[in-house]
Amino acid sequence: MIDVQNMTKKYGKLVANDNINLSIGRGELAVLLGPNGAGKSTLIKSICGLLRFQGTITIDGRENHTVEAKRLLGYVPEFPVLYPMLTVEEHLEFIAKAYRLKNWEEKGEALLHRFELDDKRLKLGKELSKGMQQKVSVCCALLPQPQAVIMDEPLVGLDPHGIRELKATIKELRDRGCALLISTHMIDSVEENWDVTYIMVKGRIARVCRRTDLAAGQSLADVYFNITEGNGQEDTP
Amino acid sequence: MNSLVFLLVKSAKNSLLELRRKPAKLILWVFLLAMIGGLFVLSLYTRQNTAASLDLIWLQGILFLFILLFVVIAIQKGLMSGDVIFDMNDVNLLFVSPVNSRLILLYGIVRMAKMAFLAGFFILFQSNSLSQGFGVGFEAVLLVLLGFMLAICMLQILSLLIYSLTNGKPRRKLAVRIISVAVFLPLFVYIVVQLIATGDLFLALENTLRSPLAAWTPVAGWAAAGTVSLIAGELGSGFLFLGLLVLSGAFLILYITLSNPDYYEDVLVATETAFEKKRVLAEGQINTEVLSTKKVKVAKTGIGGLGANVFFYKHLRESFRANRFGLWGMTSLFTVLGTALFSYFLRGGEGGILILLQILMWMQIFMIGTGRGLKELYSHYIYLIPENSFRKIVWSNLEIAFKVLVESVVIFSIAGLILGESIGLIVASILVYTLFSFLLLGINYLSLRWTGANISAGLLIIIYTIAVILIMLPGLIAAIVLAITIRNTGVLIGLGVLALWELLAGLGCFVLSKGILHRVDMPVLKTEK
Repeated sequence: MIDVQNMTKKYGKLVANDNINLSIGRGELAVLLGPNGAGKSTLIKSICGLLRFQGTITIDGRENHTVEAKRLLGYVPEFPVLYPMLTVEEHLEFIAKAYRLKNWEEKGEALLHRFELDDKRLKLGKELSKGMQQKVSVCCALLPQPQAVIMDEPLVGLDPHGIRELKATIKELRDRGCALLISTHMIDSVEENWDVTYIMVKGRIARVCRRTDLAAGQSLADVYFNITEGNGQEDTP
Repeated sequence: MNSLVFLLVKSAKNSLLELRRKPAKLILWVFLLAMIGGLFVLSLYTRQNTAASLDLIWLQGILFLFILLFVVIAIQKGLMSGDVIFDMNDVNLLFVSPVNSRLILLYGIVRMAKMAFLAGFFILFQSNSLSQGFGVGFEAVLLVLLGFMLAICMLQILSLLIYSLTNGKPRRKLAVRIISVAVFLPLFVYIVVQLIATGDLFLALENTLRSPLAAWTPVAGWAAAGTVSLIAGELGSGFLFLGLLVLSGAFLILYITLSNPDYYEDVLVATETAFEKKRVLAEGQINTEVLSTKKVKVAKTGIGGLGANVFFYKHLRESFRANRFGLWGMTSLFTVLGTALFSYFLRGGEGGILILLQILMWMQIFMIGTGRGLKELYSHYIYLIPENSFRKIVWSNLEIAFKVLVESVVIFSIAGLILGESIGLIVASILVYTLFSFLLLGINYLSLRWTGANISAGLLIIIYTIAVILIMLPGLIAAIVLAITIRNTGVLIGLGVLALWELLAGLGCFVLSKGILHRVDMPVLKTEK
């Protein structure tokens, strides 16, 4: 579903992403791990078509800048950016109308209820706390019922209820056949449901680890620290 | 103390070293310093025409009004959140360190002086105006800068003190407001009395400025009188008033440090607010409405449209929610009133509407960025919405296009009526102004497309301004030549040609900026500290 081939992103002389190859199938939850500055957000923004790059990125076989690819994609940015003068409800309406969604109201209502935003529907974007903004951002990304969802640090700033619901939502999306790419520093939060993990170090994918690759008693955190603290071998896919 | 000196010296040194890594910034500084040096050298060889100059009392009046503006801002800041004299890193690292809080305040004040100097930097470029207007040399420019810096430093301390004394105390806030008005009331009464006595506004103003009341008015009066006295060579009076400014500043610092050594809380709100502004900018939220404390009433809700045109309806909803006049806020109102007033003064002369057009076009170069369409580029929605890029760009800019069109019709119709211009000239002015805005939008997109949006905001503005001048030049030259060579209708034809050029150049810019939504990195506003 999400396919990245030989992708390189440079900022002047700095190589933020170096020849990245990555593939996420339907119903697969891919986790992107890596220390600060490893290039995770750059990779995510490139997949979403927010940055230019060298290489090929496709969503369901369509180049990521095409209208068809965008229709399939949902994105939760690292920092929620809401429109300060729109209410929570209007954010959903804006997305619904811009994406030409039909009968979206019920789905929107369910999302607002799930993330405890029912009583905040008339609050303006600027009046919301960081956590609330993050919840609205998640609702906006999920309203068009995308086939591929990309989330950059989605749990940061959420309250315990929000974290629980988002984790449950992620699992439901995966079960429904959605391809998911989630960048996070909270390894524990994805431990239950992950299928494949890409560990990035200094702009490169240092290790691709499938759940079946784990030895008995070995956790994802063990794999991560093994790679990032210098004991692992590079394994570019 | 050593740690604070280390901080100041190290910061200054690192700022200099940073120039090695940022050549554009280095070039900008070299250019600015060369210009100041050039102006200084030029002033040495320029004979000042004292016979044709204005009396220095008017310079005192201009300075008074200018500093008065900062007095009002300082009092308002003091009543709301205090002034920013520290950064968030000072709060996080210095305030918790075992360094005397009074020394930290002193460190803040030294940094503040640096900021005051930078704020007054533009004064250094006023050498020519001051020389032509008042027959004074470059030394006068330096003295004006000195007076300005002292006044700004004093006002920042005053702002801190007002916040410290009135925070959470409505009665004290009211008292500060009353005192602030009371300080300037005698001067106002004096002007009115003079106006009644002389019947001449200019004479009344001159008499007021020459009276001791103006010179003894706190801060604005002291700074203006002190500076102008020094320029005129009246050292006693100059040192007296500027000394008064320094002494009162020192007294306020002394009062703050002795009465309230625990001032950390008082500077925290302003520091956090300033930090928050930078943070939201860095996170991609460039809409200033996000930090506005103005209470917004949510009455009507809902967004119209479908597909790409939703951007236009969304902008309408946002604008009408942000202010009751919708697309036309206070800026539009002031522009209309200002041009009407200016037209009134230009009556009787020739080419009044062209002067207005020229001024408004200059203003528009920088005002066009206030449109919501360009701001959309800084958040992800416009990139991800599955619609044709061209349509998204068009619909997201329709709000500013509609706003400008209505504004220009109102502005030039009123100005044309006051000036008694022909309908043809009024329509031509409307066309030139509206199409100029269209061109500016195109140049904005082209600048972002060409630079890849990967440069600082300051440099981007410089590139954009240069691009505007270069792109407009052929059209302007053609218009001027036609206006000079063809009698009677030359101006009208010239304006028509200029409007056509703007349209063609604007279309060209939009065509060249094709791919702005997928061949350029989503821009991040890169601001300097």
